[in-house]
Formats: sequence, structure tokens, C-alpha cells
Amino acid sequence: MPVRTPHFPDLLFDSAARLRRWEGALMGLLEAHGYRELHPSLVLREAVPDGSLRFFDGDDLVALRWDFTVSLAGLLARRFTAPPPRVSYAGAVFRRPVQPWEAVERFEVGCERIQPEGEASGEADVELARLLMAIPGVLGLKSAILHLGNAALVRRPLEAEGLTGDLADAVVAALSRRAPHRVREALGGHAAAGRLAAHAEALLSELDGPGTLNALKASPYADLLKEEREHMDRALSSLLPILPPNLELRVDLADVAGLGFYTGPTLRLWAPGAQQELAAGGRYDRLFPGLGRPWQAAGFCVRLSRLLDLAETRPDLFEQSR
Amino acid sequence: MTQPSILIAFPKGRLGDELVPKLAGTPLALDAEALKSRVLRIPTATPGVAALLLKGADLPRYVAAGVASLGIVGSDTLDELDMDLLELADLGFGACRLSLCARSGVTLESLRAKPHLRLATKFPKATEAWLTREGLTAELVPLSSSAELAPLLGLADAIVDLVQTGGTLKAHGLVETTVLGHSSARLVAARGAYLSEPGRIRPLAEALIASLRHS
Repeated sequence: MPVRTPHFPDLLFDSAARLRRWEGALMGLLEAHGYRELHPSLVLREAVPDGSLRFFDGDDLVALRWDFTVSLAGLLARRFTAPPPRVSYAGAVFRRPVQPWEAVERFEVGCERIQPEGEASGEADVELARLLMAIPGVLGLKSAILHLGNAALVRRPLEAEGLTGDLADAVVAALSRRAPHRVREALGGHAAAGRLAAHAEALLSELDGPGTLNALKASPYADLLKEEREHMDRALSSLLPILPPNLELRVDLADVAGLGFYTGPTLRLWAPGAQQELAAGGRYDRLFPGLGRPWQAAGFCVRLSRLLDLAETRPDLFEQSR
Repeated sequence: MTQPSILIAFPKGRLGDELVPKLAGTPLALDAEALKSRVLRIPTATPGVAALLLKGADLPRYVAAGVASLGIVGSDTLDELDMDLLELADLGFGACRLSLCARSGVTLESLRAKPHLRLATKFPKATEAWLTREGLTAELVPLSSSAELAPLLGLADAIVDLVQTGGTLKAHGLVETTVLGHSSARLVAARGAYLSEPGRIRPLAEALIASLRHS
């Protein structure tokens, strides 16, 4: 069994100042674009999810806030009959680490774009991508890479083939490893094995600029995914002309991280040489309906704790004054 | 600031013995002089790219943590450790079976019939998965080497171990009673390095695949 000692980060002077400065700058950016801050309670008394930091308050089992999106969704569903269109948040979340190097307390800044069901969502997705594109400049990153993906590229073929449960999980795990041979192994003699393996090959064949979308033509599900492809094409057409200097845009067709949560376009921000993504988000249209509200939503979260680590380990990736 | 050199983790031992000759004459050939020494960081024929020689069980950790950008390791080790890394290709070589092995004359049926089955293995996760599939329970005896001795000396009723030619089993009077799975060498990559610097990492990965699949 791996030995894990919980890592609770104490931020000393430089890191504490950097956190304060970055948090302020990012919240300022979001406010300037119409996002209003909400601050859900640090203590969860209702749903106590696995992976959260839990303890007893008298007879009540409570947990510390483990995720802003889920906490905010609960707050919004309880307190609002119509969704505020733009909300932002900043603060810490607490999670039991999955990897030994992950901290228990993690600092985040993020935003959510919420709309009534049925409203066109393309503009909102592009709005979020444009905001995320501005973030490397705010943080003083010398260069960054924005990955555009779409959870539906994997989700819809699996649903069309009726693949659920362990088998679907095995295919997603293989794609997460970018291992097409594992997709074939996982599907064994399944009737859809050939089609899904060919789809996996197509998704994994490229990781580059807008031309990557052409790889979808080789997929047996090209027709099924026509709408998603057109959506990504339109997003790229909107974003490429306003791409800031030192930001690269890549299409990652095989992005399956958070596939159980995301339903559409996904965004991930990387810095060259960074070991972990620095911000991530996407569309998650099933969250609010599950809470009884017919709303659709998308958002992203900037992982400040990872950025603080990166500033310590790779200061060469940042402008000096930041 | 100049870019840090790229590290590739290569396995020591059985898989490494197969790998090193296959790399000869390729852009990732290991420096012959350094190989003869005891150093564990070996220059390759490509400037700016060095190899780390690591034990298979440690190798995935170096890659998952991003210390090494690429690595080659057996799928048996990957399945046991289940670390967060990318598995870009099945390289085909180093093929072997993960088998349940016992003394000659002992059958799977006789092992099934034991009220308290003891299995010695370096592969507890794969063994547990097989036991679950078969609806069996057993006491697992964790070992890190020389598992073949366990059934001979009464430490266990059988072992779950890798079998390539079967020569070691035969030398110890053991036979395969059933095959649990197969293993081969896999090219793995650090998720961060691959996704944040594909321009540096992908060409190296493609060169390794081309060299090793066709050798």
C-alpha cells in the first residue's frame, strides 16, 4: 500500500503575496466581464461526498467544501428561481488527495456561465474560452497552450453503441491513457469493438492546431458527431483571430478527463513543461437538471495551487515581476 | 534559459536486456561506454536526450511524476501500479504470460479444492482480480523475487508469476496450470510533458515506436 502523509500547504511570504495578487487580478478580470462573486459556505451539511474532508460536529457528519461548482450549484438551485447568468468564486477547496503529491487544501478562482434550458450555448462557450485566453497574461505566464476538446466526441458514440458501466469505464480509461490498443483489449469480442477502436485511433491520431478536426473524418461516427465538429469549427473561427501572442491553441479530440461530468466543449490551459493543467473547465448541462432546475451551464476553474507550485519550481515560465 | 534535457526511463533486467540491442543504431542508442560503467544516467545518440536505467517497479513513478518524459515498461507492472500516465503504444517485444504455476502434478482443480489456498506473487492486484473472476479466495503471500521457491519450500501452494520460455519453471519442477493474462513492453509518457510539449515529446515517441516495432 502506498504511504501517504497529507500535505497541508502553509504559504510563506512570497507565495502568500502571489496568491493574494493573482486572486485579486483574476477576480478583477472576471468582474470586468460581468461576473459577480458568490461565496458558498466552507462547511457542507447536506451532501457529504466521498473524497471530501469529513468530520463530526456533535452528532452531525459535515464536510469541508470540496468543489466550488457543486457547492455553487446547490446554492443557486436553492436560492434562485431564475439563474444569475454570470457568477465567479475564489477560495479554497479541501479534498483527500488521489496522487501522493496533491495538497489537501487547494486554492481556486473560477467562473460559471448559466443559462435557461434551450438558450443557444455556443456564444457562452466562446465567451468562456476568450476569458481563459486572457488568463496567462494576467498571471504573467510567458507562454501557454489552450486545449479545446469536446466530451461529446466520446460520450455520444458510447451511448449510440449502448455501452455503459464497467465496459464504458474501461474504454474511457484507455482513452485517458491515450492507448488505442487498450481500447481494443477492453472491448474484446463486443459487436462495436471495431468501430470504437477505429474511433479511438482517429481521436488519438493528432494533437495540434485547427487541422486536427479533420481527423474526425476517419471516424465511423463522423456523421453522428457532425454537430460537435461544426461547433468546434465555429469556436476556432472565433478564437483564432484574437489569439494573444504567446498563446497556442490546440485541439485535443481525446480529452476525456471528467467525462462523467462534462457534456460538451472542454477547455484546458497548460504551460509548456508544466506537469499538470493550470486551469480546466467545460460544459456540464446535466448538473442543474439533476437539482431540479432546467438550466444549462459551463465554467472553468483556475488552479492557483498548481500555479503557485509552478512559480516555485519553474520561475523561468513567468515574467519576472509576477 | 536553455530547455532542460529530456529523460527517457528504460528498464533494467529482462526487458532491458531485450531493449538495449534493439536501440543500437537508432537515434536513441545508448552510449556503449556509459553502459559498461555503473552510472544510471546514460547519454543517447541524440543530444539533449538521456536515458535513466531503472527497476521496472520504480519506472512508472518517475514517468508519472514527470521526471522522465517517456519510458518503456512491461504492461504487467503498469497494471499493478495503476499510475496516472499515458500508454502510447504496445511495442510487442518482451511478450510473456502471467500464469498460475504449481508443482508438477498439481492441477487447477486440486488448487480450487483447497480449503485454504496460499498464492505467492509479485502481482497481488492481477491475482486478486483473477480470484474475483474465478469466485475464489486465497491468502496472498507477497514476494519480490525468486517466487519459484515458494511452492517447493511450502511457503505457498502455487505462485502467480511471469513466464516467458518456461525454462525457470522447468528447472524448479513447476508447471503452468492456467494463464491469467499477457504482458508486453509498453511505451509510456508523462501526461504533462506529452500534453504541454507535444512538439518535443511526440517525435521522440514516434522514433522509439518506429525503431522498436520493426527491429
